[in-house]
Amino acid sequence: MASIQGGSLVLFSTESAESEVDLAALVESYSRLLFRVAHSILRSRAEAEDVVQDAFVRVIERRGALQSIRDMRVWLVRIAWNLALDRRRRIRPEQMDEIFAESLVMSTVPADERLDQAQRIRCVLREMERLPRNERHVLLLSAIEELGTAEMAEVLGRSESAVRALLFRARTRLGERLESRGGER
Amino acid sequence: MKNPDEAIGRVLAGLRDAEAPAGMERRILEAVEMRASVRAAATPRWVWRVAFASVIVLSLSLAITAIDWHRLTATQAHQQTVAPESHRSPGQAAGEQETSLLTNQPIAPIGKLARTAASTGKVRHINDADAVLLAEMRAPSHPAPEAPLTQEERLLLRAVHLADPRVMAMLNPEVRARQEAESEAEFQAFVNQSGKGDSE
Repeated sequence: MASIQGGSLVLFSTESAESEVDLAALVESYSRLLFRVAHSILRSRAEAEDVVQDAFVRVIERRGALQSIRDMRVWLVRIAWNLALDRRRRIRPEQMDEIFAESLVMSTVPADERLDQAQRIRCVLREMERLPRNERHVLLLSAIEELGTAEMAEVLGRSESAVRALLFRARTRLGERLESRGGER
Repeated sequence: MKNPDEAIGRVLAGLRDAEAPAGMERRILEAVEMRASVRAAATPRWVWRVAFASVIVLSLSLAITAIDWHRLTATQAHQQTVAPESHRSPGQAAGEQETSLLTNQPIAPIGKLARTAASTGKVRHINDADAVLLAEMRAPSHPAPEAPLTQEERLLLRAVHLADPRVMAMLNPEVRARQEAESEAEFQAFVNQSGKGDSE
């Protein structure tokens, strides 16, 4: 059951009053983090927003089990992460990467330099997608400042040391591949 | 951005600094509110469960009622068929009803029992003594047997079957009186006729 009182959506569980969840507060606290998590995979603002919305819908659907959730932040990030991975299989990420690369290019540089930067960024994104799945996931999560190594490990279901090793290998492998491609050019 | 690490850093920074669209929280709350209202308007799952359980209970009660009614009608039909069956021999009736008695079921009409036995081919065996006892137990009431004949009645029956019909006819007083009158008349006629002949 849900009710809106004074702009705050409060979910009531039938079990007890302790299981009340202030969804507005959850959205306020975590929506931007979840947006960045989803955006790191999808590279599309609209798609990432849809993922965040779906994540909070899952909160409603499982409000009866919220009391048993130890870390709401990690739980929400895992939901958004999995939803984004699932959504990425249904869209064309290459098109999203082109738009994202264009958005990262500095507008103050000359046109030829902008083209070169956009090409390099697209190349980085392409090589990131070719990384092994675990390394790619760790690298993408590492881009989100709010998440520490422990939280990344919990989201990915791995140990902290494994996350650190995967991150190191991902950056090393990605740098090597980019250097080799740069030498080929 | 000649260095690959610089390019990687640029991409990761772009992912890190991605800004949510303006008004995202409001849109999310509205969408979730709409979903919640739709879910609240939809029939809760427990209502469907209760309805399903009610249908099952109702079906069971109807089935039990129908079975009881069928038993009652079968018993009544059996009671109506007891009188026509009374003319049959006790052993035959017992043999036909033994299945129902042993299975503690209401007595069905004989035709139905015969069809059931023929279709299943399973007739339980019980000995003759039990069959007689069952037949006597289930047999309808009869009037008391007639009292034995007296000695006079037996003599009369013997006379009826063995004596001369003319003798038997004399037992009737009217016939006997008429017969005696005729004999007397014949005798008188003979006497009169003899008297005339002697005088001539």
